[in-house]
Amino acid sequence: MENRLLLTLALLAAVGWSLTNIEWDAPLVHSGGGTSALRFLLALFPPDFTPEFLAIALKASWYTLAYAVAGITLAVAIGLPLGVIASGTAAGEASPWRRPLMVGSRVFLAGLRSVHELVWAVLLVAAMGLSPMAGILALALPYGGILGRIYTELMQDVPQPPLQALRASGASPLGVLMYGHFQMALPDILSYTFYRLECGIRSAAILSFVGIQGLGYQIQLSMHDLLFSQVWTLLIFLVGIIVVVDTWSTYVRRSLVS
Amino acid sequence: MTEGRAVGTPYRARRRTTFARVSLSAFILLAAASWGFIVFVDADGFSGLFAAGTWGNGVRFLESLLGLNSDARPAYVQAARWLETGKLAAETLAMSILAIGIAGVGAFATLLMAARNVSDGTLGGRPSNVGRAAYHFTRGSYTFSRGVPELVLAMIIVFFLSPGILPGAVALGLHNYGIVGRLTAEVVENLDPAPARALRASGGGNMQVLLYGILPQAIPQFITYLLYRWEVIIRTTVVVGFVSAGGLGREFTLRLSWFHYTDVTLLIIWYLLLVAGVDLLSAFLRRVARAR
Repeated sequence: MENRLLLTLALLAAVGWSLTNIEWDAPLVHSGGGTSALRFLLALFPPDFTPEFLAIALKASWYTLAYAVAGITLAVAIGLPLGVIASGTAAGEASPWRRPLMVGSRVFLAGLRSVHELVWAVLLVAAMGLSPMAGILALALPYGGILGRIYTELMQDVPQPPLQALRASGASPLGVLMYGHFQMALPDILSYTFYRLECGIRSAAILSFVGIQGLGYQIQLSMHDLLFSQVWTLLIFLVGIIVVVDTWSTYVRRSLVS
Repeated sequence: MTEGRAVGTPYRARRRTTFARVSLSAFILLAAASWGFIVFVDADGFSGLFAAGTWGNGVRFLESLLGLNSDARPAYVQAARWLETGKLAAETLAMSILAIGIAGVGAFATLLMAARNVSDGTLGGRPSNVGRAAYHFTRGSYTFSRGVPELVLAMIIVFFLSPGILPGAVALGLHNYGIVGRLTAEVVENLDPAPARALRASGGGNMQVLLYGILPQAIPQFITYLLYRWEVIIRTTVVVGFVSAGGLGREFTLRLSWFHYTDVTLLIIWYLLLVAGVDLLSAFLRRVARAR
């Protein structure tokens, strides 16, 4: 109980400190900020639903979805093998390589996921030029890091008796991995991957800010032209895709994890 | 009764896995379509996937980050630069804390409206149309703020608020309000209704049911979610700083556009230090929150 009280006080103090970092004496709102805020809100009634713009929004949505899905598939391709190595289930207990490989792949996964996808995007575009692959990699690297870590935990947390049965009947480490760990963790692995797909769509939308096609790119263009009703249309599309994917992944998760 | 269940369970189980299988096939189709579209339409063939001279550029970029391509002293070995950028790192940290504060206050204030078992009276209150309307409105606001990425929110907010850490914090706070709000509402929906009902039955008022029946069960989980989100937020502060002109983010884009690559390296080091520090601190605080 005392710990909790201290924790609460510490959290409040932290927020208090963060407030002191704001320059209170300078005006917080732009001159004319209020009116432009009002203009932005009023632009919602109605959003730009002209056929020409709907076509643009649809195309941008498809771009965002395609990049998100491509990024997630590559992230699975990165996260799954690394997750297997990091869980230490692939090598035999006695193998001298087991520990170093486990630690190494864990550190590598942590490095991948500690950098935000857009920072990856900025760095990758600076390094390899603006190309579709830079966008996909920017998404796949941090997501691979996250997926890899979760896969590691899922594969380690499977119930032990079936594994012992497999080992006792003479299965190789690979056999135990394929028919034991992997088999049992698969529903959870799928369900978590589907959950990440929703986040991937949001991320793909903002990757557009480094110049990759998609909803974020169009939002930026409309924003620069001060066409707020178009911004609202694009936001509605973005939220729409996310709601659809979220609902889908919720049902998948419910069907897999009872 | 027993017979019915014995027949029913495998059927339902089969239907469930069928849905998962169909979904997996659908996802694989979608993945094939996405890759096909990107490779053959967007990139115009496999060679278009990479920009020309990717490898050479990449190696040169890494060398520049390390400062091998110039005679100037790299920024990351100069103590003065460490101090200058340290201030920005502190600002970034403040932005993340402010953001989690905003998200926390918002989610906490709406937590009851967004829980179905509160609005429909399962916990013993009187169901009302106002409650139902508030439920749908709050859930809708969660979905919207969750659906719009922080960066887009920040872009919109810098139109109104002066540049600095505040617009970034507001953007991050708004986005995470939706996430924390939804997670916490689910905690309230799943909590044990017995204490609340017992309080209600023994004549407790709304406030008492809230204080003794609902909050004690929901708050530890709420704090844990806030701390988890803080780890995500600290990673995103830099990104929001790109547009809201606060903290490390603005400096990052400026240095990159001036080709001051060793300064970029220094900023990345600070970024990684912040991320690692917040991860450790959050893990520690979560342990404190869980300890009895």
